[in-house]
Amino acid sequence: MNCIEITGLSKSYQKDFWSKRIAALSDVSFSIEKNRITGFVGPNGAGKTTTIKAVTGLIRADRGSVKVNGIDIKNVAARRGVAYMSEQPYFYGHLTVRESLEFASNLLSLPHNKINSEINRALDIVELSHKSKSKVKEMSKGMQQRLNMAQAILGKRELMILDEPMSGMDPPGRRLFRNLFRQLESEGITIFFSTHVLEDIESVCSDIVVLSKGKLSYCGSVNELLKKGLAGTEITISGENQGLNKMIEGLGCKVIYEKDGTVTVIVPQDKDRREILRLMSDTNIFPLRVENRTESMEELLYGNSTGGAA
Amino acid sequence: MRAIFYIAQNTFRETIRNKILYNILLVAGIALVLSISFGDLSVFSRAQVMADFGLATMSLTGLLLAVFIGVGMLGMEISTKTIYGILTKPVTRNSFIFGKFLGLLATLLLNFLLIAAVFFVTIWILGVKQEFEIIYAVLLLVIEMVVIVAAAIFFSSFTTPTLAAIFTLGFYVAGHLNDLVNIGAEQQSDAVWRTILKLLFFILPNLENFNIRTAVVYNLPVPPGFVCSAVIYGLLYTAMLLLLSIVFFSRKDL
Repeated sequence: MNCIEITGLSKSYQKDFWSKRIAALSDVSFSIEKNRITGFVGPNGAGKTTTIKAVTGLIRADRGSVKVNGIDIKNVAARRGVAYMSEQPYFYGHLTVRESLEFASNLLSLPHNKINSEINRALDIVELSHKSKSKVKEMSKGMQQRLNMAQAILGKRELMILDEPMSGMDPPGRRLFRNLFRQLESEGITIFFSTHVLEDIESVCSDIVVLSKGKLSYCGSVNELLKKGLAGTEITISGENQGLNKMIEGLGCKVIYEKDGTVTVIVPQDKDRREILRLMSDTNIFPLRVENRTESMEELLYGNSTGGAA
Repeated sequence: MRAIFYIAQNTFRETIRNKILYNILLVAGIALVLSISFGDLSVFSRAQVMADFGLATMSLTGLLLAVFIGVGMLGMEISTKTIYGILTKPVTRNSFIFGKFLGLLATLLLNFLLIAAVFFVTIWILGVKQEFEIIYAVLLLVIEMVVIVAAAIFFSSFTTPTLAAIFTLGFYVAGHLNDLVNIGAEQQSDAVWRTILKLLFFILPNLENFNIRTAVVYNLPVPPGFVCSAVIYGLLYTAMLLLLSIVFFSRKDL
C-alpha cells in the first residue's frame, strides 16, 4: 500500500518577469510505501525541496499529480494525517515552546482535553520538557530543531515528511532523531525525509529515492542500490598520465582516483584480478597496494568527482 | 472555524507587540492634543476645529496602521516562512486569509478605539459640545479602516510588501478622489474615454462615502439611511477584496 504517489510531477520557476522559466522537476514519478522509512537524496538543486513542497501543498505543480493516502494534495483532507518538518525551524519568536505547540495543536484540531498531554509527550520525546517556558527566539538552532520535531510528532500523524531534519543538530541530537525514526517506524508511521548525510540513509532507511537535475534517478530499496555498486578490487599503482589511464581502462578497470603520482583503479568483480595483475606486470606496471573494496553510497550516488547521481 | 480563530488570535498577539503601532498611536495622540490649541488660533469655533482635526487624524491613523502593520503582516509570514507551519497542516488558504484579516482588524480596532476614546475624553474635559452625528462619523471611519485593511491584505496576496504599501496608499488616495473620476467621465465627450473612466469609477472604492466630516463640522443634516448604506457598501467591498485575495493567494507558490 502506497502512502505517497507522485505521477508525472513537473514544476518550473521564473526568477522574474523577464527571465526564462527554469525546470526544477521534470516528469518525476515515484511512490512511497506505508510503514517504511524512505530517504530522499540528491545534490543541491536536484529538486528535493520542490518535491517536498509539492507533497505538502505549498506549491502547485505545473503538471502531474500528488496523492497522499489516495487523496489529491489539492484537497485539504490529504494533509490531515501529514506532519511536515522544515529544514530550518520557522516559529513565531514571541511565543514560548509550549505556546508554539499549543498553536500547532489547535491548527491540527486536536481535542482540547488532549492537548496538554500530547504536548508533554512530544516534549518528553525530544527531551525539551525543561525548556517549555522558554521563548523560541532565545533558543539555539539545535533546540529549535527539536521543537520543530516536537510539532511534527504531535497528534501521531501517519506520514512524516521531513526536509533535512538533522541539519544543525549536534551528535547527541542526531542520535536522538535516528532512534526516534526507528521508534516511529515501529509504531506504524511512514517517514519520508531528505538529507545530504548518506550515513543517515544507510543507518535508518529501508528505501531511497534519488533525484538528479530534476529527474528521478533511483527509487527502491537501499540494499538493492548498494548491490548495484561496483564492488571489486582496489589497486593503487605509481605513475600518472593519460596514456597510462587509457591502458588501464583498456584492461577493463576503472580509474577512480589520481593523486601525488599514484593512480587508484577498481577491478570489477566480474573480472579476474589475477589476470589483470599479470597484464599489469607484463606492461611494467607494479601495484603499490591491492585490497578488496565496497563502493560507498556516496560514490554510488554522486560519483567520485562530479555531482551527478547514479 | 477553529483554525481561523487561532490564526486571528496569534496575529493579534503578534501585531500588538509591534513598535510601529505605538509610534503611530503616539503621533495620533499628539495631533489630537494639538487640535486644542489650533481651535484657539482658528477663526472657526473650537468645537468645529477639534471635530475636523480629530476625525482627520483618526482617518489617517487608520490608514497608517493598515499600511505599516497590515501590509507587512502577510509578507512577513511568507518571508520568515512561519506560514509553512500553518499551511502544511489541514488549514485552507481561505482560513489563513480570514484569520489574518480578523486578527489584524482586532489589533487595529483596539487602537482605533483608543484614539477615539482620547478624542472623546479630550472634548468632554474641555466641555466642547458635539452633535450625535460625530458617533456616525467615527463609525464610518472604522468601516473605512476595515476596507483599507482588506485592501492591504489583497495587495499583499500577490506582490511584495513595499509594492503592497504603495498600492494601498494609492488605493486610499484614489478612493477619496473617486468622485472626481465620475465628474471627469460625465464631462468626457469621447465615448471610449468616458467608458474607461466610468469603469474606473465603479472599480475603485468611493471612500468619500465614509467621510461625513463636513456635515459634522458644519452641523449639516446627514441624509437618512446614508450611514446604513455606507456601512453595507463598505462591508460588501471588503468581502470582494477578501475573495480576490483568496483567489490570488490560493495560486501563490510558497
